[in-house]
Amino acid sequence: MADIDQVIRTVPPRADRDPASRRRPSNRSRLPAKLGRAALFALPGLLAYGLFVLVPIGMTAYYSLTNRNPFNPPTRFVGLRNYGELLGDPEFLKALGNTVIITAIVTVLANVGGLVIATLLDRPTKLYLALRGVFFTPVVLSSVVISVIWQAILTDDGLLNSLLRAVGVSDPPGWLSDPGIALYSIAWIITWQMLGFCVVVYLAGLQGVPRELREAASIDGAGPVERFRNVTWPMLAPALTINTVMLLITGFKAYDQIQVITNGGPGTGATATMAFQVVQTAFTGNRIGYSSAMAAVMLAVVATVSVIVLRVLQRREVEQ
Amino acid sequence: MIDERTHSWLRPLVALFVGVVFFLPLYLVLVNVFKPGADIVPDPAGLPLPPTLANIEAVLSRPDHLFTFGLVNSIAVTALSITILTVVSAMLGHYLARSRRVLAKVAMVVLLCGLMIPAPVILAPVTSVLKTLGLMTTLQGLVLVNVGYYVPFGVLLFSGFVKAVPRELEEAAELDGAGKARVFWQVVFPLLRPASASVLIFLGVWIWNDFLTPLIVLGPDSGTTVTVGVYRAIGQHQSDFGAVFAFMFLATLPILVFYLALQKNFVKGLTGGAVKG
Repeated sequence: MADIDQVIRTVPPRADRDPASRRRPSNRSRLPAKLGRAALFALPGLLAYGLFVLVPIGMTAYYSLTNRNPFNPPTRFVGLRNYGELLGDPEFLKALGNTVIITAIVTVLANVGGLVIATLLDRPTKLYLALRGVFFTPVVLSSVVISVIWQAILTDDGLLNSLLRAVGVSDPPGWLSDPGIALYSIAWIITWQMLGFCVVVYLAGLQGVPRELREAASIDGAGPVERFRNVTWPMLAPALTINTVMLLITGFKAYDQIQVITNGGPGTGATATMAFQVVQTAFTGNRIGYSSAMAAVMLAVVATVSVIVLRVLQRREVEQ
Repeated sequence: MIDERTHSWLRPLVALFVGVVFFLPLYLVLVNVFKPGADIVPDPAGLPLPPTLANIEAVLSRPDHLFTFGLVNSIAVTALSITILTVVSAMLGHYLARSRRVLAKVAMVVLLCGLMIPAPVILAPVTSVLKTLGLMTTLQGLVLVNVGYYVPFGVLLFSGFVKAVPRELEEAAELDGAGKARVFWQVVFPLLRPASASVLIFLGVWIWNDFLTPLIVLGPDSGTTVTVGVYRAIGQHQSDFGAVFAFMFLATLPILVFYLALQKNFVKGLTGGAVKG
């Protein structure tokens, strides 16, 4: 930053304060051409975004109103029939519920765990810096790799159950094979991967809490719990916003873990999520029209929840 | 929460314990990469003594070249994608941050909405677009999809940094007779180095680790990335943990090295002199 200041000081005064500002009218007449050339800078990015995000969004919206299936032409316009079918589709409703459960668990657990661990590690010595690296490592790894690791641990004859049997548990649970448990195992795996992200964001937030503020509260007789609730926690509001929105988006789009570990099972869709259903319907079932309606609903859910949560949390930031 | 004076030993002890428990899954992979396959199930947590490179050699010499071809593809796709993304989103972020036109503001909002869109939502039509362009199941196609999908993130980072660069700097360079392109590349872009480093790190890691998009875009026949390769490898030999762990270890190593190398640079970029002379 110091360098930028230095540069500013060496910069000549602005043109409008300069005697040469009389040249300005001629400058202005060149403005449209200049703007046109500047817009060329914006073009490649906008073009790629348009071609591979905006156009596909439009196509998804359009396909969702058709019975499009590349192996079963012709494609006909069917109005809102796909959406009507979704409302009565037990597989989709199950996937919607599973996604909400995963998202809720991940958002709460990773936030709470991240905050506790960040508080624990909020010291500047080498031990804590090294531990920060340990917690952050899974964030840098592929969720495919993490899924395979946890599959080796949680599978029926996996490392965890071998350990449980060794200490005398005769019938350990089927972490991934019991339809009542598998969904929670998936949520746990995503939480484990995202925990380090929350730790780092909360640590950054904690470093922004002035020591004097905590000390002042302490002198005024506030205990550790009150100090946390009334001084530290309000100052962590921006960190909470970042983490919550990031976790919501991660939870809602959960796909990799399900594809790699359970393939939607056990049983009928015990761990299938919305993203999993969309991909299955589109690329295995080839029902592009129907999968597009699913995708549209999924996008609507993600956007609505994210925007509402973001609004609420940001208002909270301002109030404090 | 804890009285530090009477329990000064408590915090490091608890922190160390939680860290060790958290790290256990990664420890299991690391030790078993260097252990003979037959020893893994009876003794998963033991140290690999003496260590063996048999698992790693087996992955490198696979007859189907799943790892080696995947590695080449991953490096090509990731390097091309993040280079193009850095340049393209720096230019777009700069333009949108500086422009006072309503259209630019609208474009910014539309771009930021893109941050929320999950890839599965647009994947089917993306394949249609790629087929129309004749780029389906090609590495170029995957690179273009990455550029379009991740450009909002790049723009978000760059436009934030552009606002910290004084406008006067650009005006001065223009008064000195530099054209728009020269002002951008020689004055603005070097000042955005911390943003470039962040974009390279984040997007490098994300694109390398991406699973669904390369799985669908590259398709089953035309080779894959290493991350998709991990998935293919577990399908083939489910119970051979040694081979699978070694594959994952090798698939992760390059991006981990890239991350650690750039992370240092990232800190330097923030604190060091981004401006010369």
